Amino acid sequence: MIELGQALVFGILIGGVYALMATGLTLTFGVMKIVNMAQGAFLIVSTYLCYALWQHFGLDPILAAFVVMLPMAALGLVVYKLVIERLERIDPGLTIVATFALALITEAFLALIWGPNQKTTTPVYFNQAIHIGQLVVPRAQLYACLLAIVITVALRQTIKRTWLGHAITAASENPEGARLVGIEPARVGAWIFAIATGSTAFGGAALSFLYQFTPDTQDAWLGLTLSVVILGGLGSVAGAFAAGVLLGVAESLTTAYVSVRWATAVPTLLILVVLTIRPQGLFTRLTRQDAAS
Amino acid sequence: MNGHSKRVLCCAVAVLATTLAGCAATGSSSGSTSGPLTIGMSLPLTGPNADVAKAGYQGYKLWAAQVNANGGLLGRQIKLDVLDDGFDPNQTGTDYTRLISQDKVDLLLGTFSSLLNAPASAIAARQQMLYVEPSGGSAALFTRGFTNLFFAQPGTTASLPNLFVQWFASLPASQRPTTAAYVTQDDPSASPAIAVFKTKLAALGVTTVYDQTYDPSTSNFDSIAAAVAHTESQMIIQGSVGDDGPQFVRSLEKLNYSPKILFQTNSPADQAYPTAVGAKNTEGVFTMEAWSPKASYPGNAEFVASYTKTYASLPSEDAANSFTAGQVLAAAVKAVGRIDQKALADWLHTHTVNTIVGPLKWDATGDPLGTGLLTQWQGGTLQVVAPKQAATSTTIVNPKPAWSAS
Repeated sequence: MIELGQALVFGILIGGVYALMATGLTLTFGVMKIVNMAQGAFLIVSTYLCYALWQHFGLDPILAAFVVMLPMAALGLVVYKLVIERLERIDPGLTIVATFALALITEAFLALIWGPNQKTTTPVYFNQAIHIGQLVVPRAQLYACLLAIVITVALRQTIKRTWLGHAITAASENPEGARLVGIEPARVGAWIFAIATGSTAFGGAALSFLYQFTPDTQDAWLGLTLSVVILGGLGSVAGAFAAGVLLGVAESLTTAYVSVRWATAVPTLLILVVLTIRPQGLFTRLTRQDAAS
Repeated sequence: MNGHSKRVLCCAVAVLATTLAGCAATGSSSGSTSGPLTIGMSLPLTGPNADVAKAGYQGYKLWAAQVNANGGLLGRQIKLDVLDDGFDPNQTGTDYTRLISQDKVDLLLGTFSSLLNAPASAIAARQQMLYVEPSGGSAALFTRGFTNLFFAQPGTTASLPNLFVQWFASLPASQRPTTAAYVTQDDPSASPAIAVFKTKLAALGVTTVYDQTYDPSTSNFDSIAAAVAHTESQMIIQGSVGDDGPQFVRSLEKLNYSPKILFQTNSPADQAYPTAVGAKNTEGVFTMEAWSPKASYPGNAEFVASYTKTYASLPSEDAANSFTAGQVLAAAVKAVGRIDQKALADWLHTHTVNTIVGPLKWDATGDPLGTGLLTQWQGGTLQVVAPKQAATSTTIVNPKPAWSAS
């Protein structure tokens, strides 16, 4: 029973981390329908920036995320204006190629600046845990999971309660209709991209103290975060959080009760099962557009 | 002379000219006895193992510079012909084929990892060229019947556990852990070694309480660590390759589960290891190394000093291994006195070569007849604890102290 409880605790906490990493992709892929292959690279840029602030100024990575968020949002805005917006006008499919190229260039720049060797941050809590009876709750994962909940709630409230959120929803669901009521989808797109890129700061901060990282760490996280977004349903921030937790719990239970080898196959298997049963994802309703296509 | 005779004569002259041209081409390549001695190699200078290859290449360059400063080999200066394979086994094969057939190098030196050395050594064997490799210790490489392959490290994955098991067997029965957990990455340099550990320790009465192999892409070790902790295993043996080693330790730290003995392959020798697990938490962790900057083998201190002066950083094990491969090749060439691939291989099969990683001797398959260095983190430094002739510390930390909180 303790083993089951421990597996569930680990699963929920790591699931929160997965959701945190997927936050930006939920917006760009889920809401804007842009497959941003550079999202993993943005995540790693944030990780390195948090690492630099921790190394040079001793700033805790979680606090550093609030500093890193602003330049990352600016980077997102620049990338959208210079690359995404122009290519969307020509052929939306080109954004995949362009962002993939951007990811490769970013990786090379990171390697030039910080080298190819592994880095990590070690704030005081990186190897500490809270013991509740016989259950162990790692502090690092707990803080990352709490951060994920805060970011998810903040983004959800922004989308549901603010004018910008309504504009985002309108522009993504019906661009022509949005224009008729004075919402310019391109401008809204720039905002979404800036928010999505800025939010990678929090995932990057968590990554910096949970794992070791190198410039090519982005590859592994891009695949995993895509799994989370697809499972949760495109555009659903809360769905992405729930999908992350589901994925984490499934991985943890597989490791504990099936085999360690099968744990890495869990995201792919879950996607296969979920898309067979609910093609629209776990937490979004089937729209008329989805049903028709 | 009639027309037919003229045509026959023309054909004969053409054949003769072609033959002479062919002879001239051969004479200017591997058969040449003047000009620089060309040594070919393909390294993963770009791609995921670029950092390893960079250090390895620097080791090769340092060796070549030292040989050239001392008059070269057979009175000829050495010239390295280096290609980049991007850590792609197919490209490695293409590169070594080009080095032999197009660039017509005089000698070959090996590349890095078992993955790349497998195709490269097969091509060298097909072309009957001597192949000394600085890396590629997977036991599978030495089961193919090649007689021209030589591994320039003290031991392969099969012999990796020997020194640790010898030390373990020397402990009084009351001090020996009776249970062990085996966790290994699915990797040719790790999982075969862990299988040998399990067999040898089981023969000494150690009960296996956990045995799992994880995928190389595994990044979350909390659940694995929890399962190991649940078994209350007294000893943990991990086949780690890179950051999986420190990640697993970090997961154990979070659980506050500290075994009496912890052995990890590869990872503890990484420069980033103390930072990743916390400097105090390295204390007592065992690993095996092919080389140590502190080992007292002849020429080792000079190599470390020379490398540090040239590249402004301490040499890595990869740099030392490529330097060693160069030493092995040079010893054979000097002893044989000519570039005769078969004679060079025959000489290496029957002689011991003194190198910076210790004396090297091989069996018929090129598998070295020795073991590496058993090392242990002590007081923030990786110390050699066995074999005795290379030891830099006479004590062994046992049991490993509990984890420090930070």
